[in-house]
Amino acid sequence: MGAPKAALEWHGSTLLRRTVGIVGRAVDGPVLVVRAPDQPLPPLDPGVRVLDDPREGLGPLQGIAVGLAAAAPDADVAFVCSTDLPFLHGAFVRRVLAAFVEGVDVVLPDARGHRQPLAAAYRTALAPRVERLLAEGRLRPAFLFDECRVVRLDDAALLADPVLAAVDPALDSVANVNEPADYERARARPAPQVTVQRFGTLAGDGHGGRRTLRAATLAGAAAAAELVLDRHVVAAVNGDRITRDGETPLAAGDTVSFLAADAGG
Amino acid sequence: MRVPGGYFGRALVVDVTDGTAELLPLPEPVLRAYVGGAGLGTWLLHRLAPAGADPLSAEAPLAFVFSPLVGTPLTTSAKFAVVAKSPLTGMVNDALASSHFAIAGKLTGHDAIVVRGRSPRPSVLLVDAGGARLVDAGPEWGLPAAEAERRLRERLGRAWRVASIGPAGERRVPYATVSHDGRHAGRGGLGAVLGAKNVKAVAVRAATKVASAHPQAVLDAARDLRARSFGPATAKYRELGTLANLLAFNAISTLPTRNFTAATFAEAPRLAAEDLAELRGVARNSCASCTIGCEHIYAAKDGKGVRVEYENVFALGPMCGVSDPDDVFAASARCDELGLDTISAGGTIAWAMECAERGLLDAPWLRFGDGAALLRALDEIGSGEGLGGLLALGSRRAAEIVGGGSAAFAPHVKGLELPGYEPRTLHAMALGLAVNARGADHNRSGAYEADLSGTLDRLAGGRAHVDAAVETEDRAAVMDSLILCKFLRGVFTEPFSEWASLLSAVTGWDVDGTELRRTARRIVLAKRMFNLREGWTPADDWLPERLLTQTLEVGSGRTAALTPERLRAMVDGYYAARGLDADGRPPEAALEDLRLEFVGG
Repeated sequence: MGAPKAALEWHGSTLLRRTVGIVGRAVDGPVLVVRAPDQPLPPLDPGVRVLDDPREGLGPLQGIAVGLAAAAPDADVAFVCSTDLPFLHGAFVRRVLAAFVEGVDVVLPDARGHRQPLAAAYRTALAPRVERLLAEGRLRPAFLFDECRVVRLDDAALLADPVLAAVDPALDSVANVNEPADYERARARPAPQVTVQRFGTLAGDGHGGRRTLRAATLAGAAAAAELVLDRHVVAAVNGDRITRDGETPLAAGDTVSFLAADAGG
Repeated sequence: MRVPGGYFGRALVVDVTDGTAELLPLPEPVLRAYVGGAGLGTWLLHRLAPAGADPLSAEAPLAFVFSPLVGTPLTTSAKFAVVAKSPLTGMVNDALASSHFAIAGKLTGHDAIVVRGRSPRPSVLLVDAGGARLVDAGPEWGLPAAEAERRLRERLGRAWRVASIGPAGERRVPYATVSHDGRHAGRGGLGAVLGAKNVKAVAVRAATKVASAHPQAVLDAARDLRARSFGPATAKYRELGTLANLLAFNAISTLPTRNFTAATFAEAPRLAAEDLAELRGVARNSCASCTIGCEHIYAAKDGKGVRVEYENVFALGPMCGVSDPDDVFAASARCDELGLDTISAGGTIAWAMECAERGLLDAPWLRFGDGAALLRALDEIGSGEGLGGLLALGSRRAAEIVGGGSAAFAPHVKGLELPGYEPRTLHAMALGLAVNARGADHNRSGAYEADLSGTLDRLAGGRAHVDAAVETEDRAAVMDSLILCKFLRGVFTEPFSEWASLLSAVTGWDVDGTELRRTARRIVLAKRMFNLREGWTPADDWLPERLLTQTLEVGSGRTAALTPERLRAMVDGYYAARGLDADGRPPEAALEDLRLEFVGG
């Protein structure tokens, strides 16, 4: 790429910030980022835990091992992905996690003609087994899958989820960017279509009602809705956490509610 | 005795049994420790209320408490607190209101007017330069408070300002209000306390003036505050009023609906301020000495104006499943006429609707969503007929009578019905509601501010939520004692320091923000101490079982769960942050700061 993928600009934010934000919205537990030793990262939400991978050059299994081991005290299952999935959707994450049932070790999407070990879900108890494979020099994820109980989800299985089918019918969630041209093409695509609604005093002067627009971040949605996220304005994405963080990523089908911050009475 | 600026240094204590009155000196250390309003009222309860007294007994005092800022040009300062032991909760209760009554009451020359005893006949208590005296309330007995107030001012003269109770207060409904100028000291049943004393109204007439220590500084501060009160921090209240909350809360699953069985109401848009203001809005009013003007009057079906706030629309609308604005406005007007707290009335009726639907109450007419049933229930509460006797008890006591597991969904804390903030999706607020001395109330704990600020995850209550609950409770304690309207809170960037400056200018004290923080903690602790004295137990700092066992799903699909374990951890954190022991009781050392040595007087 010629530049660290994590720090690639993405609609005024970064690719890593987007990926972390999307995953964070789709899971119950903490979000962990595994980085190479001393690798600089763009600013992240304070709730994100950053882990240092002690060994470089061992491929994806090494990062997976560090992440699963760190997540194990808080979660039985972890969604694992790379940072270079600019169109990852929360519905995809939820679809993969929903396939995790008793007795399964890995839920592995086999989407758009490729296995997707870096957009998959793993039982965190696998961490020691992954460490063993690394110690044996068996660095490819396929070695892990060979000795695990794996549920594979092809395109049809993934799109059987009506929510995912509605918001990501082409399964762009697994489209990654490996070359500068990939990034340029991805960046040139229009921002996702979202719905915004202004409430209370923000709805005055004909600004009430729901409105559809394109925005990749909360700041983008605010600007398109002619608002500034100052101390008097907050927002909720899909009726969930309240925020005024302009870098909050948006995905297709999101609903953004802009509220007066001066709640009460 | 030296009297600081803004004070008279005394309370008038009237025994309405025989109309006699005496002056109770308020030493400067007490005034500085408790400031006024809710704080000073709490000290007065410690001083004057016999331990364990029935709130509706003759010996139970009820205090109208003013504050050092009353009478200054500071915006929103014309407020007073009514303080007594609540007949609904059995604990300390202070309800605030704004009107010219505050100014005239203080300028009778007293920092508080305390009523105790029981008049042998329905009476009006008059206080002015001539002291206190009782006049017959026969002509006004039975009238709605607003009508009684109007007639009394006709009878006595326009210089008199009147706080009155409605028929519900006369009947001692434990969630009856004290009303004046169309506004209510609404929560906790203070109207019943006054009614139990056979006092229909208290009328006051200004007789003197009060000086500030530094008048020019007060004027400068008033100009500055006035200018800030026109800014964006108050725009919501000015432009749409508190009803602006309703549609926004619905969007984020924070609108309690059908007795907390849901947190969104599909028909909420019918009650939204955004549209109603355009379709029904007829006027906007301000309280005395206020530059914000939050009061929005809407046209009811009969053409009359109805004052509409978020809380009365929530409680009589979504909480009861009622979406027709005419029904909600009519119910709100009925509460005003009777002198009923809309939140407790709506909460109790919503509980009864659920009981009826579950077959626990033989009232097939009482169903969620039925506006006519809502109005009938209010009428029965007012008359005592039908279900009225039961519903007039409030949801806690009614559930004790009805049984059948209905206590699990009786929507109260300490007996006070919950306001329109869903605890399962606002975890800081959940803690604030659980631990507050008054019970479930949004004005003594504004922890929802943190939940809705974006600084924490409102569905993941923890340490940050504890800190927020303590901080907002402290802020409320000071604002309610100064007294300043909470709708101003957004204009302060360093609130404790800025409030200290205002207090210094008026009183001449060298008070700073640090001292005012200690004052806040003292007031919160003094309330807790009063409750302990009156039988509080750790089980009182808790939420209804439904809120801890039934989850909700917010729009994103995330589950909102407020488990007993999570609430327990937050309550424990709150106790630790307040320096209380594991059972919520203060250590001996903490009590030395309460200035209760003056209680023995």
